[in-house]
Amino acid sequence: MKAAELIQALSDAGRTPKQTILRSIQESGKRPVGCFPIYLPEEIIYAAGLLPVGLWGGKTSMTEVDRYIQGFCCSIMRADMELALRGAYNFLEAIVIPTYCDSMKSLLANWGIAVKTPKTLAYIIPQNRYSSGSLDFILYQNEALRTSLSEITGRPITEADLEDAFQLYEQYRAAMRRFVAMVNDYPVSLNPVNRHLVMKAAWFMDKKVYTEKLNTLMDALLKEPKETETGPRVIPTGLMVEPVKLLEAFRENHFVFVEDDLAQESRQFRTPSRTTGTVMEKLAYRLMDLRGDTFFYEENKSRGSRLIEAVKQHKADGVVVCMYKFCDPEEFDYPIYKKELEEAHVPILYLEIDPQMDSVEQLRTRIQSFAEMLNK
Amino acid sequence: MFLGIDIGSSSSKTVLIDREGAILGSEVVNIGTGTNGVDLALDRLLKKTNVQKERILYRVVTGYGRMTYQEADKQITEISCHAKGVAALYPKARTIVDIGGQDAKAIQLDANGAVENFIMNEKCAAGTGRFFEVMARVLNCNLEELANLAATTTEYVPISSICTVFAESEVISQLAGGASLAAVARGAHVSVAKRVCGLVKRIRVRPDVVMTGGVALNQAMANCLSQELELPVVVLESPQTVGALGAAIFAKECYEKKL
Repeated sequence: MKAAELIQALSDAGRTPKQTILRSIQESGKRPVGCFPIYLPEEIIYAAGLLPVGLWGGKTSMTEVDRYIQGFCCSIMRADMELALRGAYNFLEAIVIPTYCDSMKSLLANWGIAVKTPKTLAYIIPQNRYSSGSLDFILYQNEALRTSLSEITGRPITEADLEDAFQLYEQYRAAMRRFVAMVNDYPVSLNPVNRHLVMKAAWFMDKKVYTEKLNTLMDALLKEPKETETGPRVIPTGLMVEPVKLLEAFRENHFVFVEDDLAQESRQFRTPSRTTGTVMEKLAYRLMDLRGDTFFYEENKSRGSRLIEAVKQHKADGVVVCMYKFCDPEEFDYPIYKKELEEAHVPILYLEIDPQMDSVEQLRTRIQSFAEMLNK
Repeated sequence: MFLGIDIGSSSSKTVLIDREGAILGSEVVNIGTGTNGVDLALDRLLKKTNVQKERILYRVVTGYGRMTYQEADKQITEISCHAKGVAALYPKARTIVDIGGQDAKAIQLDANGAVENFIMNEKCAAGTGRFFEVMARVLNCNLEELANLAATTTEYVPISSICTVFAESEVISQLAGGASLAAVARGAHVSVAKRVCGLVKRIRVRPDVVMTGGVALNQAMANCLSQELELPVVVLESPQTVGALGAAIFAKECYEKKL
């Protein structure tokens, strides 16, 4: 198959989450487990012989959720609970919900009385990742998850299961890093829309199947001549960039996402795993080693300096801030890295995004204006 | 001749300039995107200037309705066009506050008049022309009368609701409680000024500050904004057509680049 066809196939998979998950269930014979944002040790779920799938909200009318989560709370959490209340997640075997922010903690507290099925597993994140007890705490959470999943499947998760899953995810994470870097050589084929949808598909597919498909896609693309694009070279930062209409506005203005600092994308796989220790320890250290992330306490916040470094490395024209309504941690982070970017003379495009919006016209104006401002 | 068209949410504007950049005429029709406002504004401009359509060498369209207007050679955003128009009319400008029918923008200019940074309001009517329309309806007057009422007093009732819909209820309560029409009208102006000031301060405010857009026709609003910013606010002679003028200048530049 040609690269364009492979890109189209994975983009279609990313564009239609439910159909992709159902197809993955059929092909793999595995039972699905929903994973709430942002970071979960998916390897443990995979090692249990289950299919981890991402639950990142989506566009839906909000008729049920107001009883449990107010309108001024995180739009992704609201969408996830709305979908759960409507029974959209009933086909899942279980849902794992971590506690990365206040909205998630509150949602988890209310979830038990609001949502009866499927079974919910909590994954508690330590506030402090650097104390001597942090590793023990995360290891305890990982073991608790392992036990809960074993109870669901009725079989233990062995060390060999964990090792196999860990190695597969290492290959997946390496493929994703390679894909993100390839955008610089193929910015037209991997425009912001295709780039996002191809990566999004990973959340709904068996990682073994997805990694093979992604590697095939990249090998096919490498056989084609390199491409150039005329628009601004930028680094998006934030939770994610959606809806697709918004990404289309970037594509129309010929933007290139030379790298990203998005929770749904590169923050998932940019931190290399340690090479020593047990699998559970490596999974714990990956959380502990992640830097420049909104949802983890970091005494000397490194997000701004990381962005500046990435701008220099890629000769980027600017940073696009994707601020989802109403993400408190991201909102509080913004003034700090904004100041650093301004001092480094890095142009910033600030987009406030409501995933439920029907029209992106005003955001389209901002995106086009930014391109005009940069003379692109 | 070069034509600039600005299709806003509540009005359509056209400006025609000649090869030397001199303004031949401008026209404003108070209906915006999705209506025949743009056709009316163009027809009237051509009649007024006695110019045949065929003599127009290049057209640039801007504004909220720019994406759906098919007859232009190029579309450019209102951010760039307002900056271009203001830089031509008032080169000392470093900050532009543009308040239109449904959005408010602050634009920072460099010494050459190029856009250095910008910010737009969130998707909300507060701090825009729409807020005044709602207030005028509550007070049973038109926009001009609302502005005149506000200019008669410095006393005002505070309108604390950020949401326009809640603010409408708040004003009705104030009126029921005996507040004067003038104090409510002034309160509406102060409320918009505070809201816009908050927006403008998210980018650096540097003098001279120029106000554009339809709301700039309201002198009471310009005064309230000046007080909130603690800086003089310059209102250009025809603030509504600045975006269309910028579009016309872009049209001339694009045409000359092509030659």
